Amino acid sequence: MLWRKLIRDIWNNKGSYFACLVIVCIGLVAFTTFSIVTDNLSRALETFYREQNFAHGFVELVSMPESNVQRLARIEGIKDINGRLVKDVRVNTPPEEESVYLRLVSLDLSAPRVVNDARLLAGKELIPGSLAVWLDNEFFTANNLELGDSLEIIAGGRVREITIAGVAMSPEFTYYLPAEADLFPKPEQYGIAFLPLADMALVFPELEGRVNQVVFTLAEDARYEEVRDRLLPELEPYGLIRIYPRDDQLSHLMLTEEINGLKGIAKAFPFMFLSIAAVILYIMLKRLIEQQRGQIGILKALGYTNREIVLHYMSYPLAAGILGGLAGGLAGIGAAVPFTELLLLFFKVPEVPGVFPFSYFFQGLLIAVTIFLIAGYSGSRLALALNPAEAMRPPAPVLGKKFFLENLPFFHALLTMQGKMAVRNITRNPGRSAFLFLGIMLSCALVAVTWSFQDMVDKLAFYQYEEVEAYDARITLARPAASEPVVREVAGHRQVRWAEPLAEIPVSLTNRWREEDIVLIGLPRGSQLYKVLDEKGRKVPLPAEGIILSQRLAEKLAVTPGASIELASPYLRGEEKGVPVAVGGIIPQYLGMNAYMEISALSRLLGYEELATAVLVNVAGEEAIGILRDDYLESDLVAGVDSREERIRQAREMLEYFGIAVYFYVLIGVVIGFAIIYSSSFIVLSERSWELASLRVLGLTPQEVFSVITFEQWFISFFAILAGLPLGKAILHGLAAQLDTDMYSVPTTLTPDCLFAGVVITAFSIWAAQRFALRKVKELSLVEVLKTRE
Amino acid sequence: METPLIVAKNLRKRYRMGEVTVHALRGVDLTLYDGELVVILGPSGSGKSTLLNIIGGMDKPSEGELYFGEKSLHTADEKELTAYRRHEVGFIFQFYNLMPNLTASENVYLAAEIARDPLDVDELLERVGLANRKEHFPSQLSGGEQQRVAIARALAKNPRMLLCDEPTGALDLATGIQILRVLRDFCAGFKKAVVIITHNAAIAQMADRVVTLRDGRIDGVQVNPQPVAPEQVVW
Ligand SMILES: Nc1ncnc2c1ncn2[C@@H]1O[C@H](COP(=O)(O)OP(=O)(O)O)[C@@H](O)[C@H]1O
Ligand SMILES: [Mg+2]
Repeated sequence: MLWRKLIRDIWNNKGSYFACLVIVCIGLVAFTTFSIVTDNLSRALETFYREQNFAHGFVELVSMPESNVQRLARIEGIKDINGRLVKDVRVNTPPEEESVYLRLVSLDLSAPRVVNDARLLAGKELIPGSLAVWLDNEFFTANNLELGDSLEIIAGGRVREITIAGVAMSPEFTYYLPAEADLFPKPEQYGIAFLPLADMALVFPELEGRVNQVVFTLAEDARYEEVRDRLLPELEPYGLIRIYPRDDQLSHLMLTEEINGLKGIAKAFPFMFLSIAAVILYIMLKRLIEQQRGQIGILKALGYTNREIVLHYMSYPLAAGILGGLAGGLAGIGAAVPFTELLLLFFKVPEVPGVFPFSYFFQGLLIAVTIFLIAGYSGSRLALALNPAEAMRPPAPVLGKKFFLENLPFFHALLTMQGKMAVRNITRNPGRSAFLFLGIMLSCALVAVTWSFQDMVDKLAFYQYEEVEAYDARITLARPAASEPVVREVAGHRQVRWAEPLAEIPVSLTNRWREEDIVLIGLPRGSQLYKVLDEKGRKVPLPAEGIILSQRLAEKLAVTPGASIELASPYLRGEEKGVPVAVGGIIPQYLGMNAYMEISALSRLLGYEELATAVLVNVAGEEAIGILRDDYLESDLVAGVDSREERIRQAREMLEYFGIAVYFYVLIGVVIGFAIIYSSSFIVLSERSWELASLRVLGLTPQEVFSVITFEQWFISFFAILAGLPLGKAILHGLAAQLDTDMYSVPTTLTPDCLFAGVVITAFSIWAAQRFALRKVKELSLVEVLKTRE
Repeated sequence: METPLIVAKNLRKRYRMGEVTVHALRGVDLTLYDGELVVILGPSGSGKSTLLNIIGGMDKPSEGELYFGEKSLHTADEKELTAYRRHEVGFIFQFYNLMPNLTASENVYLAAEIARDPLDVDELLERVGLANRKEHFPSQLSGGEQQRVAIARALAKNPRMLLCDEPTGALDLATGIQILRVLRDFCAGFKKAVVIITHNAAIAQMADRVVTLRDGRIDGVQVNPQPVAPEQVVW
């Protein structure tokens, strides 16, 4: 019999119950999807790494005889080690088109086990001596290439023809960037080509028998640091540029960060949604029990035990947990497969057959049911406290009480009678008002924060490309050169309005044991085309001697202006170790992590006259860049001409992906706001139906009656939204701390735009939920409601 | 003869309850005039409340015609019915139906605020004898006091008629008489129609007209040439 009562009660509360289920579902879909996806990704990655023998350590050198690698192989702790040549070359494209580059990466096919082996996806094996290569699949698809096609590359002033034997992917290059300062990959313009080490000699005869990189894997129980320390003395003589572990490898870094992000979402999301659903259930049950005290009394009088009665009321949340859990879990499993596929596409990790981890399904179900039972138990404990006689008496009458603000005369005067009822209702049920407040606050904060993500990415990219890098084009030199003659030459070009030198020097900065490898950018004093700006956007003059650090770099090195740090670089002439340099200032930098110096001071420090690695130019008109490209294509000295327009366009394309994610999160904020307002309206409607019907009888229109509820909601929401904005700011600060990486740092200001979006979108979801609830008021049957006094 | 306020012709009301159909009204003809006090008498379940609700625009007849002056109420939509309740009808119920979180005077103001031509709230509260309890909330008032607030609230809109469904049902004798006194005064003083539902035959002595309902039909109409004052009603 009680079961039948259960089903009828649920039916009568179907609105809140349904809202609850939807929220549970969203939470569990997120939980299962993200858990399964992270699992799949981790597993795919692991398999991929294992099968391709992905390196644990990476070494960049100026040059070393290949034969030396054999000796290194004997070092304790090293399992497999390969020497390789890695060289960037330009692809011979028509001059009016963008420059296209290939990074040639050699594979030591003679080694017993190839480290960082590329996996052939389509095509033929590599045959040494044929100048046939495997292209990475991104580049291959982006350029609409076909197997068997040939490409002309320009290497060291010579043109060579390579043919495409296959398409491959490598764990080292699931994600790669053309240059350190670039934020986004551009597969149309920059790709990876794998070829046998022997073939590298055909492209670069002068490098025959030499390697410039070493990659190695570690033996079972070896530690990277120990092996590094053993390697260092061996490598030192060959011009060691950089040695770094897998954890600092870009592709690996990106993948692990993304996976960690997903893991975080897999935890935070369901928690948030389940708690909201739990609160709704709790309120619903509490109300149900208050309403049914008479029935409870009768049941108790009939001899039902407390346990049976509590169990009965617990079956509501139990049903919600199981129902929502089942639906959410199944939908999550359904969503996991396409979502994994989508992410694998993005990451270029080969697929692994998806397993069906039912454990997550049950975990989710278990979590949902547990949380709900706790909520349910707290809600239905009330029923225990009642003794039968007491239970059958009607609840104590509502005590009228004035709202505390009404003591203010002007506030009092402002209110109509409906308004007064509304504000007094706030204190009538403080728990529920608090829930409404918290929910709306959260919803608003969520919307504002996600909106600011959009803003943030905008800032990341456009601050860099519009404010900082103000040049029209950048002519990258094939090798560092004396800046004077080069700039004079470029400035003399008829299309060029203004030219400035730029030096990008890889350095490692050390403050005691803290060390950072970064690109040091040398700029002329008062540079027009590349600006060093402080947080207010004002130009920072470059000091005559010292170095300017980006905020995060300064933090990582733990230095403040005035401190002295040590600078080492493969370009540093004469000095074995580093040279000291003073920190002249600190600036914010959202994109990348660089240091800046006056170009002649930098050159002097390194031991050169004036050095440049690129020339930045402002040009006369639209076609100028094509003409420049045309004119400098043949030059041995020029590696490429890049236009800023192109970079901005690409940034913009990338932003569209972010855009979709932002809308998704905003939608979730809206769903929360809607669910909270709808269920709260719904509860109020059924709880106070008698009062509301009385108002209708008095001749108030449904809108007027409903305004009592909406006024209360808006009143609470107004303050909740106000409180949501600082909360959003706090969340953003928390996120920024989490998200800051070497790639970018996150600005933590919520702009008026975001605040506005937070307010407007939250208000909209409140309004929409109220529209839905208003229909209920219209359906309120006066006769029916008034016939019984509850 | 003066023009009637309400004319009901052959009102029928059926309620469907799953398989069975309940006939609450089986053809009722009734005319109400300004300034008269009508008592509707009948056993429980005879259809009194149903009839009153239909007259008051809270419910619609399943069949039959209902006119308020020229206006036909049986064809009116929800919006017109709301306006009708708002401006022409004052309701009084057995359980007062006051807003628990508005004070006595605020409850009356609630009605005055939506009326076209409201009566003075303070004067009304004075008249029902609650001038010194204005700032009390319903939970601080006795049943009789609450009912008087309800009457003041119904009157505040200055309606054409007052419809009372067992207004004394929850009150003791003395308090009931007080309530009836107020209703009688209003009817005589403002020349408004007052309809009182009761299953208490004694109350009928104070009516101008007594309509008896039985099983959804009018069983008899009795005109009282000499209505008795509420105080003299013999219980
Ligand atoms: N909403 C309803 N649904 C079904 N039956 C109803 C409804 N309202 C009233 N009735 C039935 O109509 C009849 C008349 O009811 P009512 O007018 O309330 O009688 P009274 O007020 O004279 O006691 C009763 O038999 C009652 O059960
Ligand atoms: Mg009745």
